[in-house]
Amino acid sequence: MNKALSIFLRGIVIENPLAIIMIGLCSSVAVTTSVANGIGMTAGMVFVLLCSELIISLFRKVIPGNIRMPIFIVVIAAFTTMVDIIMQAYFPDLSEAMGVFIPLIVVNCIIMGRVEAFASRENAGHAVLDALGMGVGYAWVLIGMSVVRELLGNGTILGFQIMPESYQPVLFFVLPPGGFLVFALFIALNIALKKLWLGQDYKGGK
Amino acid sequence: MNKTMLKLGFVLALFAGVACVGLAVVHSLTAEKIAAHAQSALENALKEIFPGADGFDDVSGELSSLDERITIGAAYDMKKDGTSVGIAVQATGPSYNGAATLLSGFSADKKVVRVVVLDLKDTPGLGANAANATYYVDRASRTTFPGQFSGKDIGDAFEAKKDVVAITASTITSRSLAAIVKASGEAAMVYFAKGGR
Repeated sequence: MNKALSIFLRGIVIENPLAIIMIGLCSSVAVTTSVANGIGMTAGMVFVLLCSELIISLFRKVIPGNIRMPIFIVVIAAFTTMVDIIMQAYFPDLSEAMGVFIPLIVVNCIIMGRVEAFASRENAGHAVLDALGMGVGYAWVLIGMSVVRELLGNGTILGFQIMPESYQPVLFFVLPPGGFLVFALFIALNIALKKLWLGQDYKGGK
Repeated sequence: MNKTMLKLGFVLALFAGVACVGLAVVHSLTAEKIAAHAQSALENALKEIFPGADGFDDVSGELSSLDERITIGAAYDMKKDGTSVGIAVQATGPSYNGAATLLSGFSADKKVVRVVVLDLKDTPGLGANAANATYYVDRASRTTFPGQFSGKDIGDAFEAKKDVVAITASTITSRSLAAIVKASGEAAMVYFAKGGR
C-alpha cells in the first residue's frame, strides 16, 4: 500500500514530468496560450498515457526486448489516433483549437519515457498509478501555465473577461518567449514545493 | 537467426494488427458523426452569410481561381424564392502553419457580403484569432477579423496593414486570408459577368 501511494504521489511534485524530468516540453509551451487548450491537451495526454502504460504493462512479458520500441510506438500511435478521431467527432471546436498538437502526442516524450522506464517493468496496478500521478503532475503545471498566460496575455480565463476593461493585455505572454518565462517560473515554483514536501530529505538541485 | 527474425516480425505484425482493428472500430463508430459535423458546419456558414436564402444551386464546377496558389473548393449560388441573392465561394489557400479554408459571400453588385473561416491551422492565441468570434480588430465597433470584409468592394486592394486591419503579431495570416477573399471575389465576378445561371 505504502509503495503504491508513493508511486502515485511522486509524479505530482518530486518527479514532476514537466518541471523535474523536463520531457514533453515543446507542445507544453505551444498549447498553453489558452486555458481551454491546456485542459484539452491534458485530457488527451492523460488518456493516452494511462491506456499505453496499462497495455504495455499487461503485455510486458510477451514483448521481445529488441523490438520493444516499435511496439510502444504502435500502441501509443493507435491510442493517440483514437483520441484525435473521438475529439473530431464529439468535441469539434476543441479539436480545431488543438490542431496539430493532438497527433503530436505520439512523439510526446513523457509517454515514451514512462512506458520505457516504468510500465515495461512493473505490474499493471503500479503502471496505472504511475500514469495517474504523472498525469496530475502534468495537469497542474500545464493548466497553471495556461491560466497565467491567458490571464496576463489576453485578460481572460476560458474566454471570460477577468481583468477590467482598462487592462491592456501583455501580448508577450501569449508569444513563445512568454511561454518560456512562465515555464521557468513554474520550474522554480515546483522546486520550492519539492523543498517543502521533502523537508529534511531535500538534497538540493532540482 | 532467421527464426528469431521471423518470430519478431510476427509479434510486431500481431500488435500492429490489433491496433488496426481497434482504430477501425473507433473510425466506423465516429465517421458518420464527423461527416455530419462538416456538413452542418457548411450549412450553418451558408446560413450565416445569406440569412434570407432558402436554397442554393451547387455551381462548384463553374468557378475557377485566377490566383494559382488558391483553389476554389466549392461554390453555391444562393437563392430566395427562385432568384439569386448572391454567391458563396469556398476557397483554400496557403496560410501560416498550413492551408486555410474560407467561405465568402458576394452579391451581384461586387460587394463582399460576409466572410466565415471554415478551417485554419494557426497558432492558438495568435493567428487562430482570425476564427475567434470574440477577437476584435476594432474593439469599439466589435468588428472581428473576417467581419471587417463585410461591405468591402471587390475592386479594393485587400492588403493587410493597408485597407485590411491585420491581427496583432500575425501579419502572414492576415495577408493570406485577405488574398483568399480577394481571389474568391474575383472568381465570383467572372461568374456574375457570365450572367450567373
